Amino acid sequence: MSDIVIFEGFGQVMAEVAWALAPLTLFFLVYQFFFIKLPRRKVLEVVVGMVLVFLGISFFLQGVHVGFMPAGTMMGSIMGALSFNWILVPVGFVLGFVVVFAEPAVQILNQQVEKVTGGSISSRVMLYTLSLGVGFSVALAMLRTLLGFSLWYILIPGYALVLLLIRYSSKTFTGLAFDAGGVATGPMTVTFILALAVGVATEIEGRDPLVEGFGMVALVALAPILSVMILGFLYNRKEKTNG
Amino acid sequence: METIKSTVKEVLYAIIPVTVFVIILQFTVIHMEIATFVQFLIGVAMVGIGLILFLVGVHTGLLPLGELIGSTLPKTGKVWLVLLFGFLLGFVVTVAEPDVRVLATQVDYVSEGSISKNLLIYAVSLGVAFFVALALLRIILGFSIGYVLVIGYALVFLLAAFTPPQFVPVAFDSGGVTTGPMTVPFILALGVGLTSVLYGKSASSDGFGLVALASIGPILAVLLLGVIYG
Repeated sequence: MSDIVIFEGFGQVMAEVAWALAPLTLFFLVYQFFFIKLPRRKVLEVVVGMVLVFLGISFFLQGVHVGFMPAGTMMGSIMGALSFNWILVPVGFVLGFVVVFAEPAVQILNQQVEKVTGGSISSRVMLYTLSLGVGFSVALAMLRTLLGFSLWYILIPGYALVLLLIRYSSKTFTGLAFDAGGVATGPMTVTFILALAVGVATEIEGRDPLVEGFGMVALVALAPILSVMILGFLYNRKEKTNG
Repeated sequence: METIKSTVKEVLYAIIPVTVFVIILQFTVIHMEIATFVQFLIGVAMVGIGLILFLVGVHTGLLPLGELIGSTLPKTGKVWLVLLFGFLLGFVVTVAEPDVRVLATQVDYVSEGSISKNLLIYAVSLGVAFFVALALLRIILGFSIGYVLVIGYALVFLLAAFTPPQFVPVAFDSGGVTTGPMTVPFILALGVGLTSVLYGKSASSDGFGLVALASIGPILAVLLLGVIYG
């Protein structure tokens, strides 16, 4: 039995995060110096924010390294080896569904959307639409890893449908849909569910983890686009009938 | 204080459902080694703490900064300056984006170093940078987002035909991860700021779609990487 590790390699992670935040810090300094010239109090707020972000990302990445990635990969290989490994499909659905609540970016987008649209797009409807969409897409990605078919069979019809729906949706919904696709693919998806898929692909014979393990995030990005576009299509029709 | 409280709630609400589901799976189907299971729980705690600190930091320091940049940059009135700083901002926030880092780590690990972590991170960041600039140019010139998306994806599918198959899933995944909690607030703020300066507050739809365009860039960048390396 292996030992429990918590802070192993934490120094290295912090160095990496410092290095990752350096360009942003430099950008802020240049911008502050040449353009905005914020008062000292405001600069202090930004600095405090940066320190928190630094600590936050460090802990987050450490948690991913010692916990999510090894456990996700192991869960994937255990479930991939089961005689009833089709269970990965419903498991994928549930994970995808609940993970949308886990994405801070979803909340950030909802706030921004509410601010700009004055609340006319209900965040509740958005949330359920996104969750269902992501649930289906993770289930589909698991099916792909199990059966090993090409990503193109999903991406080409998927994007074709999206492009078709653009013609029938308002501009607002188009932009919104594409942004929704982006925000559903945050930290939990990449850390945990992707590790799960990679684990499955490693376990099943004839699967290349690079080809069948990855692609999950792409599908998770596509599903909400489609679901919001369909939502936009329905809203538009309703508005036309009412108007 | 209110921000901290709501952030803690937000993160707990976020992490608990997934964790409970994994715990149920552990005792019914998976039965993984206890040590790994404990590691998972430690991971949950650390990810939770990390996300809380990170989000509070974004709310107090970075979000106002993003909004400030979004509202001041367009007022300089120089198109090249807006595009240049849009490009730079796209680059620096993507380098800092934790999701991109996690994906790059996994790709590095699975490909046994043949697609290295830093190479992927910088390729993805350049892709975002280029497309943020392009998206800003689109807002300034005022043409429809639909055209840009159609042309962008046409390019993606064209390039995909010339790249080795191992690069395709990674490329599309890279498009997805660039839209994390670091990139989204900055890029959205930039778009909203630019539109409100150009067209007034009413034209809301133009600010959106920026994130969408920003995720085409990395797909193209990684596919190009495949064409070069494959």
